[in-house]
Amino acid sequence: MFAGLYRHVHRTAGPASSTWRLKKMLAALIIFGALSSVTATGTFALLTSEEGNTHSAVSSGTLTFDNVVNTGTACFSYGGPSSPGNVNTGCQALITSATLNYPGVAITPVKVTITNDGSIDASDLSVYMPSCTAAATPGAPTPGGADPCATNGAQFYIQETTSTGTPTQCWYPSAVGACSFSASSLHLFAANVNTTTSALDLGKGPAHATARYFLIGMQLPSTAGNALQGEAAVFPLTWHMST
Amino acid sequence: MSLRELKGLLLFVMAIGAAAYFGGGATFASFSAETSNVGSSASSGTLTMSDQVNTGTPCLSANAASQNNVNAACAFALALTNVAPGVFGGVAQITVQNTGSIDASKFYLWAPYVNATLSAGISAGSVSSLPITPLEGTVTSGDTIVVSYGTNTQTFAANAAAAGSATSISVTPKVSGFAYPIGTIVTDTSSNSGPSNTDCFDAKTTVGGTAGATFGNNLNFNPTTGNPFCGTALIFVQETTGGNHYCWLGKGSSPEAASGMCTAPISVNLSSALTTGGPITSLPVTALNGNVANLDTIVVTSGTNTQTFVASANTYMGATAIPVASLTPNFAYPTTSTVIDSAAISSLNNDTTDTITNFNTGHNVVGKIQLFPVTGNGAINNTATVELNHFNTGTFSRIFQVGVFMPAPAGINQNPLQGLQSTFGITWHIDQ
Repeated sequence: MFAGLYRHVHRTAGPASSTWRLKKMLAALIIFGALSSVTATGTFALLTSEEGNTHSAVSSGTLTFDNVVNTGTACFSYGGPSSPGNVNTGCQALITSATLNYPGVAITPVKVTITNDGSIDASDLSVYMPSCTAAATPGAPTPGGADPCATNGAQFYIQETTSTGTPTQCWYPSAVGACSFSASSLHLFAANVNTTTSALDLGKGPAHATARYFLIGMQLPSTAGNALQGEAAVFPLTWHMST
Repeated sequence: MSLRELKGLLLFVMAIGAAAYFGGGATFASFSAETSNVGSSASSGTLTMSDQVNTGTPCLSANAASQNNVNAACAFALALTNVAPGVFGGVAQITVQNTGSIDASKFYLWAPYVNATLSAGISAGSVSSLPITPLEGTVTSGDTIVVSYGTNTQTFAANAAAAGSATSISVTPKVSGFAYPIGTIVTDTSSNSGPSNTDCFDAKTTVGGTAGATFGNNLNFNPTTGNPFCGTALIFVQETTGGNHYCWLGKGSSPEAASGMCTAPISVNLSSALTTGGPITSLPVTALNGNVANLDTIVVTSGTNTQTFVASANTYMGATAIPVASLTPNFAYPTTSTVIDSAAISSLNNDTTDTITNFNTGHNVVGKIQLFPVTGNGAINNTATVELNHFNTGTFSRIFQVGVFMPAPAGINQNPLQGLQSTFGITWHIDQ
């Protein structure tokens, strides 16, 4: 075809000639090409379709708990300051100085109920004693000067029970069914179980909306001498729960 | 025949010939033939799409109230509650179909701008406030707000901040030349530039993850400033069309994994009990809701009994068995036993890259993800001229798994993320 056109171009000239027709045809092609080029973008973008899956929602659960001493008021982990958050150091004391100890006579064990009031099951519960310091018993006329937190000082245990108080597991000082006192147990606990890292692992749970029950026992050894008269052991007991 | 008779016959034949010759025109003119192509029309094709979440009702682009083939109000992909760190979150399946008559040459996925639709029409004239459906994302004062309906578009400037779920946006008064009706799309085109103005936004939960449990509003240590949960929760999108897998978004997306599998955790049960009678090389499980990579550690747990197996091959979403290195079960694990991939979880726990926030800021309309046809596990055809065939032809339907996971990075207190809800969207788009 192009060979034929080429021959016509050489044969004639002028507006009526094949050369002129060829030029017009080529000019038309140029214009068409230019139009295509200019409008191409608009043409290809002509049709679109779009959809959005909006408002997908992902909600985190909560891990919070409360502890109740005997029949006291629930103290919530989230009731403390916003920082560090979910840490409440202001819960009720287990034992007050009004509860006096005598050698070889255990005080009435203190019941602590730990309830998971969050929405996520706890994979671990632990407890530790950040410190234990000696102080004079308020009102005691002549403190003996010994340290109940020291070796041969006060004795201490942590007993898990059913909701009705039946012993199920002694967690400290020995892992048996029912706890008994042993020498220097308060001292050893405070000395060795005093951070989240060294905390006593109380096993899994509680699951959300469930509780675990503990009895905290305390006594002065039957061999306690006068040096432990009028002395108090001041200690926090911290419960820690994690996922 | 006599000569006279012959002449007569010849004259008769001549007369017929003459008649035929001279009268032929009239004869032929009485016959005519004609064809007419009537009723020709030029019909345009359609380019429309649908998306279906799991087995829900397909959402059609053409049904949008905004009358521009953009349906920004399809069903949410995920509604996960009570998510815990380091624990399987959830996965939703989204099926995207080309329901039109024209092939789509381009198919994209991206994170939408902060968006809503008009909850009530606005009249032509001065506009100072846009009534909207609950806002997905947050608007900052000064942001550019675009309203669009059909071919009508107008730009406003926000003159006050609007929080996530807000139902109005205050704008600098401006005359609108068109009465935008309810359903008009409203987008904040200034958004997705940083963690604080993403489409994904955080709010405190107002209902416990379980009945009676504490919730976000009870807590004082979980601020929403900067959308921290959006910035922590991980997202992945894995295609599973026709049994071919490709990780488009998330840990494992190209070039991280040649296998086509996202790092997507599993949480399934045994589909049949194990016995202690001898070694096994496969764990029968309910359909996988994630992937298992070769050599991953698979933990089977029933009560206090647990055992770790080692995967011996890649296993993809939907599979019902996990090949493992030969090992004898240490317990007769019942079908209620849980099966998880601890290696996948450990890997994700250290992931700070594939967050929803980064999806918003890195893969919005500017950094959109082009969904080339997947030709095999981890293989795509990036020169294909059609990425979503028209309805009822070729690959006109493609399937994606969208999942979210909350990581539990070692040594980091995640308490500030308790009781938070992240809300976000995903946009699917096709071009002719």
